[in-house]
This record gives sequence, C-alpha cells and structure tokens, in this order.
Amino acid sequence: MAGSAAELSIKADASEVRRASAWLEATAMRHRVPAEQMHRLDLCLNEALANIITHGGPSARASPVRLVFQTLRGPGSAQAEVMVSDGGVAFDPLEYKQKPGPRTLSEAEPGDLGLVMMHGFADDLSYRFSEGRNQLTFRVLWTEPE
Amino acid sequence: MTHDAATIVSEDVNEKLRIIYINGRLDIQGTDAIGTKFTILAATEARRLVVDLSGVAFLASIGIRSLVSNAKAQQQRGGRMVLFVGDNAPVAKVLKTTGIDTVLPTFTDMAEARGKALA
Repeated sequence: MAGSAAELSIKADASEVRRASAWLEATAMRHRVPAEQMHRLDLCLNEALANIITHGGPSARASPVRLVFQTLRGPGSAQAEVMVSDGGVAFDPLEYKQKPGPRTLSEAEPGDLGLVMMHGFADDLSYRFSEGRNQLTFRVLWTEPE
Repeated sequence: MTHDAATIVSEDVNEKLRIIYINGRLDIQGTDAIGTKFTILAATEARRLVVDLSGVAFLASIGIRSLVSNAKAQQQRGGRMVLFVGDNAPVAKVLKTTGIDTVLPTFTDMAEARGKALA
C-alpha cells in the first residue's frame, strides 16, 4: 500500500474547530477522498475535538492539539484516517459501552451522543495514551476501481 | 461541504403551525450562533413545529442536543416538534445513527411532516 500524510496543530478551543474542519476538507479533497467518507471523518473530528474542549481540562488547553491525516491506497481499496493527539485528561472512547437508545422524547438524554457518533461513523477507532497524550485515530474505508 | 454560517428563519403558517428553517453547519460555532433564536422560536410558547433541516450542511452532536432540548421544552408546553430532512441524506443518517429519529419524528415529505405536527 502507498500512503501520504498531512498535519495541523490547533488550540483546544471551540473557535478552532471550524478551521480544523476546513483543513480536513481541503486535505481530503487533495487526497481524493470521496465525499461520503470525508463527511464521516469530519463528524468524528468534530466530536473528538468537542470532547477534548469540554472534558480535557486545563492540561488540554495548555498544549496544541495535533491532527495527522493519512491515506493508504492498495489494489481496489483505500482508507483515510485522522489521528487526534491532545494533552488532556486520559480518556479512552473505546471503553464506552453504548446504552439502549431512548424510547420516548422524555427519556432522551443526549449526553453521550458524540461517542455514539464516533462509533457509528468510523469504520475503525483506535486509542492509546503515550507520553502524557491521548492519541485517538478514526479511520474510514472505501473501494476504488483497480 | 460548506462552511457558511448557520442561519435560522421562521414562517407562521397559521395560529398553530410554525415552520423553522435552519441552514448551514450545526457544529459548535453554528449551533451557538442560532441557539438563542432557536429557543425563542421553538420553546417559548405552545406550538406545532416543523423544523426544516433540509438545508443543514453538517449536524454534530451539539446540534442534536439543541433539537432535543427544544423539543422537550415544547412538549412540556403541550406542543410538538417534528423534523423535515427532505433529500438531505447525510443529516438523515446522523439522526438515524444516534437513534434520535425514533423520538423526534423525521420526514422526507413536507406534507407528511406538517400533518404529523398538527395531528
């Protein structure tokens, strides 16, 4: 498989999320990622950054959030991934166990929606905590004509 | 994909039915931009509401939370909120993936959405 990559550093601040999305869109288009897969990456990126901003604490705001975009292409298949690295409180979204959905509007407590969306829109999620930083990677796959 | 600012406008079809049109990105920035006006339009008096999301380019969880909290507030006032997505497949997929379409009736046909809101 052949690959290519791009990087961006942002502050852990709500005002930076749209800049990150714009960077992702431009980068994904440059790497010929299909629109549907690009949209899924953007959803995961927004939810990952929202978690860092909301729950990462002072240590998240004290250091840049690093984004690394990468594509891999092989015969007939391709994948794109974004790795989000932050210095906030350690949090593994893979440990999240999805609860049964609400049956009525009154029951709806949409607190974990961001995690539901990441699990629902990524084809693969991986996480590790290394050298004081969370490293969350979400990946989408698609087929390409050979 | 568009990174245009989110906008919100409304149309009172009659004394009961109000249609709220939301456009743009409902990410953190967009949801914050329309939040106060959305609550005023959707939750300050008993109404039958259709929220038109057909022009929403991007729906993040914060946007869904805004929909749900205003729908709950409207329900407590004795009204009802339904969603119209038209042919906006990405937004429909987000609502389905999160299960919100099971608690907030979601329609691709505006006449059906109006009918359900008024039922």
